[in-house]
Amino acid sequence: MVTFPQEKGFSSLFTVIFISTILLLTGCAGNDVIDSEVVDVSVSETDPEVVEVDIEEESEVDPYEGFNRSMYGFNDTLDTYVAEPISDAYLWVTPRFVQTGIHNFFSNLKDINVVLNDVMQGKGGQGVDDTGRFLVNSTLGLAGLFDVATEIGLDKHEEDFAQTLAVWGVPQGPYLVLPLLGPATTRGVPGGIFDAAANPASYVGMPVQLLQMLNARANAEGSLNFIDEASLDPYVFTREAFLQHRDYLISDGESEVSGDLLDLEDDFYDDDDLLDDPVDDVSSKEEKGSEVVIEVPVKTDDAIEKQVEDPKQQLELRSEAESFDEATTSFDGAVESFDEASRSFEEANEKLNQIKN
Amino acid sequence: MNLKMIVAMFTILLFSGVVFSEPEEKLDDKKIIQQQKVNDEINSSQSAKEVVIKFQSQLLQVMKDGDKLGFQGRYKALDSAIIQSHDLTKIARIVVGKEWKKISNEQKIELVDVFTRLSISAYAYNFKSYSGESFKFLSEDKTARGGVIIRSLFVLPEDKDVKFDYMLKKKGDNWHIINIIANGVSDLALKRSEYTSILQRQGFDTLIAKINEKIDNYAK
Repeated sequence: MVTFPQEKGFSSLFTVIFISTILLLTGCAGNDVIDSEVVDVSVSETDPEVVEVDIEEESEVDPYEGFNRSMYGFNDTLDTYVAEPISDAYLWVTPRFVQTGIHNFFSNLKDINVVLNDVMQGKGGQGVDDTGRFLVNSTLGLAGLFDVATEIGLDKHEEDFAQTLAVWGVPQGPYLVLPLLGPATTRGVPGGIFDAAANPASYVGMPVQLLQMLNARANAEGSLNFIDEASLDPYVFTREAFLQHRDYLISDGESEVSGDLLDLEDDFYDDDDLLDDPVDDVSSKEEKGSEVVIEVPVKTDDAIEKQVEDPKQQLELRSEAESFDEATTSFDGAVESFDEASRSFEEANEKLNQIKN
Repeated sequence: MNLKMIVAMFTILLFSGVVFSEPEEKLDDKKIIQQQKVNDEINSSQSAKEVVIKFQSQLLQVMKDGDKLGFQGRYKALDSAIIQSHDLTKIARIVVGKEWKKISNEQKIELVDVFTRLSISAYAYNFKSYSGESFKFLSEDKTARGGVIIRSLFVLPEDKDVKFDYMLKKKGDNWHIINIIANGVSDLALKRSEYTSILQRQGFDTLIAKINEKIDNYAK
């Protein structure tokens, strides 16, 4: 079996949490400049104290916005001056096919964790598929350097322990921006620790982890540029995109549309569009509209929370009632896939050692 | 004599300038409404699904001609396509949330105007070239209160498909896109959070300045 030297394992565990989430941390790349410009504008045009105005409608999801914003700024600076230049150099120096190979390699190691979380969420079929993915890529794909599995129709899934906790009914908790680690929710903290612990890359030496870090930052390059280009307020943009995308992953892409409708329903169906009416009708119409509009943002956070929880409960109920049999068979399958996983674990470890040496 | 002529011409110019600029501004205000009405006639017989599919094919066409057109060309080509298929007034309204009632009429018109230009610029910037992408229609769902959701896939040859869900609403006889949800991330909800946050912290002028800055960056 694989042995994990305790001390080394633990210290490197921390490093890996740091590394594996650098992708998120870097959700702020390059916004530094824009941000400072923005502050200048606000100072010159309005009272600087205005920045302190509390934003009621967001306090439920983001009660620590002040702290989070300063952490965001810190991470952003760090990314601009450390992570981004290194990542740029990596992208410049490394040939494209090598980058792809490195990406595939770490993606393959993550599939172990995906399988574990498939099982814990009761997704038997997907668990079998993902186990197959891992086995195919670890062997035919030469230790994961090539993503053969996708070619033969076994698509990559995104599962992690924070999603599993959500499926189990653990509430999301407030939004947090952690120093170095970037965007998270309270639920994501134990999730991140578990995921790092389940990733073999956490237990090997620094060169591999450095490579993992570079790979993560390089993968994020596109998204980070998009945030730069598209966002008016990078902090809010990152937060909303992060939370929405997490909900999407948790529900496996099923509930997002109806949830969005709930949030925006009143505005969406409210036909009071000012520009269609000339000035005279404005005041009365506006008042009517405003009632509705005020209600909505307050509802938003609740609605998200409810919407996330409801499908979860349904999911649980269903798995209890309908598919008890399915669950037991998938458990058998799970035991098997555990065996398989641990075998491939050993393989992976051997190969890692080879790479190290 | 010469002097008189010059003065006369100058006054005529000035006068005509005033006369011209006055209604021009008004025209600008009403431009959007008028355009909407023209579009409504064009759209009148189209179902929600047809509106989306037509827009997607126009977008793909612009991508295919992308290099040739350049940013300005893509902007021009997408201008009418986006204004026809989207209800930008409504989108701008939803995006500022309850702040809508706090801003003046002129500000509303200004907001809709810059927001329209931002939306077109963002499309022109992000869909600049073609490498085998396509859209695939998945399904059409009706919502409880008469809206329609068109689910589709943006198929990327080298990458995982992106889910594109369009929310449409009927105004008069015509369907308009109100929201696009890409892989679970709602454009409307995202913008709404940003815009209301900026309005509350920094005010209307900063919001407009920031939007204009984005438009300029896209055009570079």
